[in-house]
Amino acid sequence: MSPFRSLNKMSLARREALAGYAFVVPWIIGFLIFTIGPMLASLYFSFTKYNIIDPPQWVGLANYERAFSGIWDAVRTGDSRQFGDPLFWKALQVTIYYASIALPLNLGFSFFLAVLLNQNVRGINIWRTIFFLPSIIAGVAVTLLWVRILNPRVGVLNPFLKDVIGIQNPPGWLAAPEWAVPALVIMSLWGVGSSMIIYLAGLQGVPTDLYDAAKVDGANAWQRFWNITFPMMTPVLFYNLVLGMIATFQYFTQVYVATSSSIAGLGSPQHSTLFYNIYLYQNAFRYFDMGYASTLAWILFIIVLLLTALIFRSSDAWVYYEGQLRGRNL
Amino acid sequence: MKTKLLKLFALFAMASMLLAACSGIAATQAPAEKAKVVIFVGFGTGTDPDQVAAQEALAKKFNDSHEDIEMEFLIVPNEEATERFLAMVSGDNAPQLVGPHGTSTIARFKEYWEDITPYIQKDNYDLSDFYGPATTINKYPDLDAGLPLGLYPSFLFYNKDAFDAAGLAYPTHDYTDTSWNIDALKEMAMQLTLDASDNTANDAGFDASSIKQWGYADTWTDMRGQLTMFGAADQGRPTTDDYKTATFNAPERVFGFRWLHDGVWRDHFIPDANGQAAIDSTGADPFGSGQVAIWYSHTWFMSEGLNELPFAFDIAPLFYNQDGERIARIHADLFTMSKNAKNKDAAWEVMKWLVAPEQIVDVCKIYGCLPARKSTEEAYLNFLKERYPTIDHDVIFQAIDYLDNPHHEGWVPEWGKVNDTLNNVLSILYSDSEADVQAVMDQGNEDVQKILDEYWANQ
Repeated sequence: MSPFRSLNKMSLARREALAGYAFVVPWIIGFLIFTIGPMLASLYFSFTKYNIIDPPQWVGLANYERAFSGIWDAVRTGDSRQFGDPLFWKALQVTIYYASIALPLNLGFSFFLAVLLNQNVRGINIWRTIFFLPSIIAGVAVTLLWVRILNPRVGVLNPFLKDVIGIQNPPGWLAAPEWAVPALVIMSLWGVGSSMIIYLAGLQGVPTDLYDAAKVDGANAWQRFWNITFPMMTPVLFYNLVLGMIATFQYFTQVYVATSSSIAGLGSPQHSTLFYNIYLYQNAFRYFDMGYASTLAWILFIIVLLLTALIFRSSDAWVYYEGQLRGRNL
Repeated sequence: MKTKLLKLFALFAMASMLLAACSGIAATQAPAEKAKVVIFVGFGTGTDPDQVAAQEALAKKFNDSHEDIEMEFLIVPNEEATERFLAMVSGDNAPQLVGPHGTSTIARFKEYWEDITPYIQKDNYDLSDFYGPATTINKYPDLDAGLPLGLYPSFLFYNKDAFDAAGLAYPTHDYTDTSWNIDALKEMAMQLTLDASDNTANDAGFDASSIKQWGYADTWTDMRGQLTMFGAADQGRPTTDDYKTATFNAPERVFGFRWLHDGVWRDHFIPDANGQAAIDSTGADPFGSGQVAIWYSHTWFMSEGLNELPFAFDIAPLFYNQDGERIARIHADLFTMSKNAKNKDAAWEVMKWLVAPEQIVDVCKIYGCLPARKSTEEAYLNFLKERYPTIDHDVIFQAIDYLDNPHHEGWVPEWGKVNDTLNNVLSILYSDSEADVQAVMDQGNEDVQKILDEYWANQ
């Protein structure tokens, strides 16, 4: 019997389902080969000693032990040198420090811009374009631009801080260990345009009858924002928070560009910009320790997974979906 | 319909078989395939457009004169070189030759190179024409990395206009003049350091935040390189000769670190991290920017557009150190053979051809190195005289006698980790004005020792 004839005998729903699967098969094949495959391979490598040129050597949990050994001694004595791999913890610390500043700032600043750009003023489309444009410029170009802006000798920021604001000793930014991460945070604000656009779309989806009703009830602008706009935007905030958190933990390009040309190398000065992915890269492509680099990748994956799960779990308490009563769906 | 489809399929299958059979005949009749030798260029010099064109011409010259081997240059941008090379190796497609590259890349990838000792022995290859250092710098007990191609001795480049403006005599070109020492350099460099109001670093009103010209810099090398000239027993190697004990905090290196730190933060004749970034942001090299009056570097720096500089310049020997010793770093380039490559015999033939007396001068002209063969010294000197007529060429050749041994980029266990650890110390030098020099060096030594201990524990 012809396969086409049996296809004709199927119900429409089943045929549509088959067509759907046929369309997604190329993606699934690609996902299995190019994502799941390398992930499983790296999981295997994380239990090996592997330098590419020689076959991987099974070492069990040794790589994981290396990352976490000495943790109790270090905590007990307060001496970071007690860690089996102090740079692993340094890298984690730098990344969390950056994430704890950059993530809230980016979320807040992009939301603030979106609220401003949601006003009904003349030339609003031009303003929206202006604020969105920087986010489409490639990371490398933006970083080079900011490295120049932040340079204390030839950049424009410090003369502004000194002559206009009146700060007598402006920071050394990327050359000063204590200011390098804040400098990168400032750089990150340049790219808020993409989350701003998502907020803006969300803001335009807030039903106007809610505002009308609130006005009738005598709510002022702040009350309308806090009791209508903000709750209605929490799903968008939630979305941006999850994506932003993942992105900050994978931070790499900007710091790579900003520090790789320095003779002191990646993560300089004084390991102040040794982000997790920079350390992972060093282990893989500078020390050729692919086994340990794979371990670091999996540890990062688990950290991000746990944080994402935590955000999802907490969302019940602060994310409001239209048509939902707290605790149950209508 | 079904029959038609079957017929079409049968026709297609027959046509396929016929084509396959014909191609088989063609293959057996064709001349034997040439052994391909891919030369991976990207770890060092060789990626500029004019160099690429010159390399293509070189490949054509080789291919026209060899029937059994085909040479091909694979040009890879420097920033992608490591990833591309590792991908090729892991994909069982290792390039036959890699280079030209220097001691650092050879040390960093030490396990990836083929030891050419058996090839040298098999051919009874004569090494006597090479300068002594060229044959030893990249040679280890378990690895002779390749036939020497070129040397890059080091010396000082100085801006004659800056000296004239300061009313200073130029540094001596006499290698035997021991008065040209670390103190003389410092005194000279401070007079050449100028702030925005043209005050020198010696003047009372000198403003260190507005320096427009620094007296001296050696900032294009890493921590090991910058401390080599100060003459610790292990010179460029921060360990004992059995590689088991760290010696980074040797007194000579501590002195050197303090001298450099004072030069940056107290005497201001060396640019700090911000100063270096400011120079970089001009898009020029430190010397070419006109912001560094005396610049310590190697012959490879001569390819940085020296002839287009808007000021007069010359070269001088490196100064004597605090102990009256002169240790002038040297770099040595060669082509290495990948351990996992196919066609290794053909690669050996290409390696020999590239450094043969007939080619080596032309090859070195491409890469800016001084040919490693003594017999070609005059030919290369003539080239230098023609290309750089205003400089003292003797300074270049004499510098070879003062090379660093052990080498500042030579192999140590966990080469990348040790160098990154020490470069973290380097970042303290240029970014921390209050650093406790002895404590910083001791900590660096402790960190290196930990890396060595871990390495040996796993052997």
